[in-house]
Amino acid sequence: MNENLFASFAAPSMMGLPIVVLIVMFPSILFPTPSRLINNRLISIQQWLIQLTSKQMLAIHNQKGRTWALMLMSLILFIGSTNLLGLLPHSFTPTTQLSMNLGMAIPLWAGTVVTGFRYKTKASLAHFLPQGTPLPLIPILVVIETISLFIQPMALAVRLTANITAGHLLIHLIGGATLALINISATTAFITFIILILLTILEFAVALIQAYVFTLLVSLYLHDNT
Amino acid sequence: MAGPETDAQFHFTGIRKYFNSYTLTGRMNCVLATRGGIALLLYFKLGSKKTPAVKAT
Repeated sequence: MNENLFASFAAPSMMGLPIVVLIVMFPSILFPTPSRLINNRLISIQQWLIQLTSKQMLAIHNQKGRTWALMLMSLILFIGSTNLLGLLPHSFTPTTQLSMNLGMAIPLWAGTVVTGFRYKTKASLAHFLPQGTPLPLIPILVVIETISLFIQPMALAVRLTANITAGHLLIHLIGGATLALINISATTAFITFIILILLTILEFAVALIQAYVFTLLVSLYLHDNT
Repeated sequence: MAGPETDAQFHFTGIRKYFNSYTLTGRMNCVLATRGGIALLLYFKLGSKKTPAVKAT
């Protein structure tokens, strides 16, 4: 069991060819393009959910911040759908790869920072020193705020990777424990199975929450810089 | 939120007009001064490491 524990996180290949790009592109076919004024049930439900999310998320933004609406909605849909599809048995979850999450976090964070420095240079620089800081603390606080700025994309990526990876590992371990306990003690196996059910429900919630948290933090970084 | 409209309530004189932690300009100048100081420190520290002391013959 030990050598199989991390096998599900390896980049998938079929007949020697990497298919990770196909897996990353797969969630897009679950969101059909609306082609009519009044669409079918699936598209109508998706449009309603997107409208609900975008209204809530873009409420804090000004005109400039709202130009990022498409980016933020695409982000939450992609991460949410990818995380949920990863809960299917034997499937590969792209968001367990730190490389992919860094590839999402760093450009988005850098975009917000560059936007801030370009359009509000004074305010962006002044942001590194909280208002009302006592004089002796100014140098150390500037250093701390600079470090915290550069940690933001790392935290974004590592948070998503760690949460999804940990959840998948737990499901794998507890599922394996349930199977192993069936022959030893049926009662213990049943209790472990109940724990597995509860954990799976938790992982469904975590999949959606992590998508929301990732997008919300990018939205907040944008709000600070617009 | 700090901004040009809230800066008008502060009346600093002398050097505190340009370096304080209340107005936008003051905070920006403090940040630039701190970073400039660190950059200068690193420049002289790294510069002194590269040129070793000349041996007396």
